[in-house]
Order: sequence, then structure tokens, then C-alpha cells
Amino acid sequence: MERIILHVDVNSAYLSWEAVYRLQHGARIDLRTIPSVIGGDEKSRRGIVLAKSIPAKKYDIQTGETLWSARSKCPNLVVLPPSYPLYLSCSDALVRLLKKYSPKVERYSGDECFVDLTGCTQKKTAEETAWEIKERCRTELGFTVNVGLSTNKLLAKMASELEKPDKMHTMYPHEIPEKLWPMPVRKLFLSGPKTLPKLYKLNIFTIGQLAHASPDLLQHHLKSHGLTIWKYANGIDDSPVVPDGRAVKGIGNSTTTPFDVDSEKEALLYLLSLTETAAMRLRSNKMLARVVTVSLRDTNLSFYSHQRRLVSPTDSTLLLYRQAKSLFKEMWRREPLRHLGVHLSDLVENKFYQTSFFDDTAVSRQQAIDKTIDEIRASYGADAVVRGLFPHSGIPPLCGGVYEAFPTMRSLL
Amino acid sequence: MKFVCSKQDLVEAVTIVQKAVMAKVTLPVLEGIYIEAGEKVKLVGNCFDLGIEYTLQADDIEKGSIVVNSRIFGDIVRRLPDSEVFIQVKDNFVVAIECLNSYFEIKGLSAEGYPMLPEVDEESKISISQNTLRDMIRKTIYAISDDENRRILTGSLMEAAAGDFNIVSLDGFRLASAKTMIKENVSFKAVIPGKNLNEIQKILETTDDEIKITLSKNQALFEMENCRIISSLLDGEYMNYRSFIPEQYETVIEVNVKDITQGIERASLITSDDKRFPVKLNIADNKLLITTNAEVGISKEEIEVEMDGNDLTIGFNPRYLLDSLKVIDDENIVISFSSSIGPSVIRPVSGDKYLFMVLPVRMSN
Repeated sequence: MERIILHVDVNSAYLSWEAVYRLQHGARIDLRTIPSVIGGDEKSRRGIVLAKSIPAKKYDIQTGETLWSARSKCPNLVVLPPSYPLYLSCSDALVRLLKKYSPKVERYSGDECFVDLTGCTQKKTAEETAWEIKERCRTELGFTVNVGLSTNKLLAKMASELEKPDKMHTMYPHEIPEKLWPMPVRKLFLSGPKTLPKLYKLNIFTIGQLAHASPDLLQHHLKSHGLTIWKYANGIDDSPVVPDGRAVKGIGNSTTTPFDVDSEKEALLYLLSLTETAAMRLRSNKMLARVVTVSLRDTNLSFYSHQRRLVSPTDSTLLLYRQAKSLFKEMWRREPLRHLGVHLSDLVENKFYQTSFFDDTAVSRQQAIDKTIDEIRASYGADAVVRGLFPHSGIPPLCGGVYEAFPTMRSLL
Repeated sequence: MKFVCSKQDLVEAVTIVQKAVMAKVTLPVLEGIYIEAGEKVKLVGNCFDLGIEYTLQADDIEKGSIVVNSRIFGDIVRRLPDSEVFIQVKDNFVVAIECLNSYFEIKGLSAEGYPMLPEVDEESKISISQNTLRDMIRKTIYAISDDENRRILTGSLMEAAAGDFNIVSLDGFRLASAKTMIKENVSFKAVIPGKNLNEIQKILETTDDEIKITLSKNQALFEMENCRIISSLLDGEYMNYRSFIPEQYETVIEVNVKDITQGIERASLITSDDKRFPVKLNIADNKLLITTNAEVGISKEEIEVEMDGNDLTIGFNPRYLLDSLKVIDDENIVISFSSSIGPSVIRPVSGDKYLFMVLPVRMSN
């Protein structure tokens, strides 16, 4: 049976949400109508464009470019800091709306969802439903979305990439030659900066050229990825819509440091701070982690990571930090760092815990402390209790974003 | 070199020494079986971690030695007809194998480069029956850890002291130990790699014939009538396992082994799809209630027990309990629970020839 898949993509998500919020709170100017961007904090070296308005796009401002370069393109650019908790609640509102149409809603990133409408469109046609969703987003939620409609996730996503904003597009298999193939190949999902130069070398510039290329040739030059993108170019994709139900696979936490970290002491404080936040999230998800990964990025932006598997899974900040610390000590090449990350994975529910001889007897006390601190922070704010190591260290006691809870599509496909 | 022997004897000898020959090694000589004809015929396999020497009954012996490729020699010998086998080394290390109307010639290697088994200082030697050792290994080997990060636990501890001989395995979640008495007044501790013990267990016969165990600093020697096995030891200090065994118990039950084994086996059918779920034991009023509650369904089973102490509820990974219950030959056992979150200990009703300890699964409400 043909599936009916929708891809719902919020137009300039962070910026729209920020604009809607500000309008609701008395702002007179709609950010979406002026050249504006959401940008990271330049002082702490996170100064890149996170989202841009359509007018800003006209100045050729790109997502991911530095704010300094964006300002040089448009001197009166409005730059606003991101407010992640707001975006998370907007994203939740979108998911709630979509769940009224189908139980199969996959939150693919904060501002993109897939919906499997197969069997859920009795009274209206798929097109009418897609249109209605788009309209309800604008009227009920206050921000605009692009809705792509097709028979698989890839085509639905490519459809919503067509003209923006506030549009509904279809890209059924019979429309591929007309709608998909004329697009430049760089627009194709998973044709990124590593793939494109290789395709250009093969004289492949449009998706149509890729679709007509020999799969053997692509496999020869691009290994299995060549076949994947060849299938995408031909609109072939059978990956299912996975309703997440917040199935968290891993909890990661990373931060770009405002200064180059070149001492072990500072690096370890950062790791402790990152572990603290990650472990809090782990506990609030009622999970235990078995694998700890530490990743580092040096000032040349080269990235490397090490991981270790624990004998028994844990949610103790102290135990997780001990692993992070020992991983860091064995991996750090003593070069200045600008980005540190801690990732907890191989998660299991904390409902059942196989005890072991190696369980630190001090751990049950630590767990009681963790629980108490979590409760205090929940009632009186995250900064109500901080470790004594942090004051005057210049390092925040709870580091890292709130907004990494969604697995990327790459890991799901 | 030449000799004549029976095919069956030769197959047995080859099968046993092959356990110590690695399949893929850098030195071709290590892929071989060393054969030496002297007063008797001796076959040797050696991979440094484990060395096995087997003495074979043979006639018409002409002295000499050779190394033959283990795989090809073994395959040939096994397929020979059941009769006398005639083996002779010709020029240029060519080995002729003849049996009734079959004739093979295979290329051998000079025995000169073969690493002979080391001599073991006979410091402390004990002797027990092969049956006893086999049973002790069977009772303990399953609790060996496969975690290479704690290598010492990938072996079993052999420990002699004050007329007792113990074998202990533990993987962090459970412990298995077996004990027997020895005549010798020696004391030693050594950790034998699990994979070697596994091979030794297969070589041991169901007989009350003696096996002598000698432990030196870096090797263990197992001697039977026609077979010597040398195993390397694992370096490091074994965990002080005795400190884990609780002294005080909240609840003690005596239970029929078959009843509880089958009860847990049935209950674990419900959790077999999803190993996260424990089996729950509920002890009260001289009854043991075994329950499971998983996404697929639930199970309940009640067993009569004799109990002493308080009512208790505790969760276990059913596999850990079953691994131990299945090696018990007694009719009844005593299970002592230190608490609902502490270790539980399984012992015989009388005596101390085995002790199994399992750590529970903590269940949050």
C-alpha cells in the first residue's frame, strides 16, 4: 500500500518563534519582516547565525556564518540571542498539533517533524489534510510552516524544501522528473560538503543527473553512500516514521568554551559541569547509562573522542564524572581546547538494577545526594545548589544546552 | 622415526593435544603437533598459554622426532580405517602414514624449532580424583567473567590451604565455589585462565583415577596417567571473595532443588524476550512465591519451603540462579538471603562442598 507521509518544517524556526513570542509580549515590530537573525553569544565565541529572517536571506546571509560576516553584509541587522526553553515549548506545541492527525509523529529535529498519515485520512484527501495542518500552524500556533507531502520521508522532505514560506507542496513519484530532478544536487538530503566535490568531479550538478548516473560508478567513487544518494535522487526511501515517544538513545552535553582551555584543572571543571547537567537529565529520564564518551575539539577545530563501557550502568554524577575524568586524562594531547563534550549512551531504565560486587558502597549515599540536589534544583532553580569548586573559577557550574534531546536523522536512517 | 599404533589411540591422542594448538599463528611450527618416538611415543601441542603432552601406546618404535601440521594430520588420522596405523619419517621431513590400503605422505617440519613444554618446579603438589576435579570445574566455570577489563576474573582461582582445595569463579554479579579435602598439607593460590580450564574439563575422564596438580609461580601442571597439561596463570591478585560472603542472614529457606529450578525456568519464559525483567521471589508462611511481570504477561508459582527468619521479597536475574541450580546434584538446598538488596547464598543442607552466591536485582517501586 502507498504510504502518505508529511514533512512539516517550521520556516526560520528559531526566528519565527522568537518573533511570535515577542509580538505576544508587546513588541511592535515583527522580526520576520526585517533583516534579523538569531545568533550565539560572540563574547563566548558562539557568534554564528542560528536562524535568519527572509529579509535577511536577501542579503545573502547564511545559517552558520559568523555574525561579524553577517553584519558586514547588512549593517543594520538585528541580532537576538537564542532562548532554547521557548523553542522547546514551541516545538512541543507543534508535535501536539500533529498528533491530532496521526499517532505516528516523528520529531526529527526541533523544527522538523515527519507524520505518517497512512490510514488517517478518511474524511479529507491527503492534500486537504496537509493544507489544513499548514493553516492551523499559522492561525493557532502563530508561526508558518512548509508542508511536504509524498509517499516516503525523503520525497516529503524534499517537497517541503521547495518554495518557502507558508507553502504546501506535493512530490509524488510521478512528479520526480518535474520537481526533484531540476534541483541542484546540493539540495539533496545527505549530499554535504564531503560528497559534493566528488559529485561535481563526476559532472553531476543536478539531482536528475545523479538519478541517471550509474549506481556502480557512484559506488566506486563514494562507497555505499553513493548508492544511498542515488536511491534518494530516484526518490527511493523506505525508512519508517518512528514515533519517538521520546525514546532517548543517548544524552549528550557539550559546550564551546569562551576562552581556550589549556589547563587540566579547567578542563576537568568543564567536564564536571557538563556531566552534572547530563546526569541530571539522565536521572529525570529515569535512565541509567552504561557508556561514557568524552569528546574534545582543539583550537584548530580538529575533533576526537574516547569512550568507555562501565561494568554496571549508573546515574551517579560522581561515577560518571570519574569515568569522564579518566577518559580525558588518557586522551588529552595537552593542546588548547575550545569545545568539550560528555555523552552518555547505552541507556537502560532505572527500574531494575543488577547489583554487583563492584558497586561502591558509597554510591548509595551519592545517589541520595544526587536525588536531594535534583529536588532542590527543581524547586529553587538550577543555581540554588552548586559545587564549591565552581565559584570564582570562571566556569559555569551547570554547562551545556537544553536542546540536544533529539536524535538526528542520520542516526535513525 | 617410525612406529605402529592403533587408529583409535592415535585419534584420541591427536584430539587431545590439538586443544593446545592454535589455528592461525605466525610461526608454522606452532600450527604443528610435535611427535617424538623414544621408549614410548609422545605427542605435544603447545600454544604457550596451554601445553598438552600425551603418551601413546606404540610398537616397533624407531627413535626420532618430527612436527606435523595439526589440521591436516588430524583430518587424515580421523578418516583412516579402524586398524593399525604405520607412521614413518622419510627423507626431507616427509611423513608417511599407512593404514590398510590407504597411504599418505605429508610434509613435516624439523622438530628442532619446536618449543618444548617448560619444566614445572614441583613445589606444591596435590592429588585428587579426576571425577572430583571435573565436577568442581563444572560447578564453577560458568561464573567466570568475560570482561577483559578485569582479566583476573576471566579465570578461576585454585586455592589449597589446611587440607582443603577450593575452586572459585566470580564475575561481579555472582560467585561459584566448590571444595574438596586433600591429604597434602600444602598451601597455594593460582588463577587458571577460563578457556584452559574448559579444555581441561573436556580431557578429564569419568574415573576415580588420580590427577596430580602442581602449582608453581607462573604455571600449573595437571598430570594424569598418560597426559600432562601445563597451563599459564593469570597475573594479579584475585579478589578477596570471602569478604563478600555475608555472615548475617535475614531469611533462610530449605527447598527442593527440582521444584525451585523448574519453577524459575517456567517463570523466566515470561522474561525471555526482554532480559531486563527479573524474577521476583516472595517468601512468607513457609511458602516461596515465584512471580514475573513483564510486557508480554505475568507468571505465578508457589512452592513449599521450610523457612526461618523474616518475610522477604527479592528480585533476581533468573539466569544467574539457574546457572547455579543446574549444577547441583543434591535433592535439597539451603538458600540464605542477607536482605532484599544484599547477596544471597546457596549451600548444601549439610557440609560445604559448594557455595554459590548471587547478587539481586534492585527493583525500584
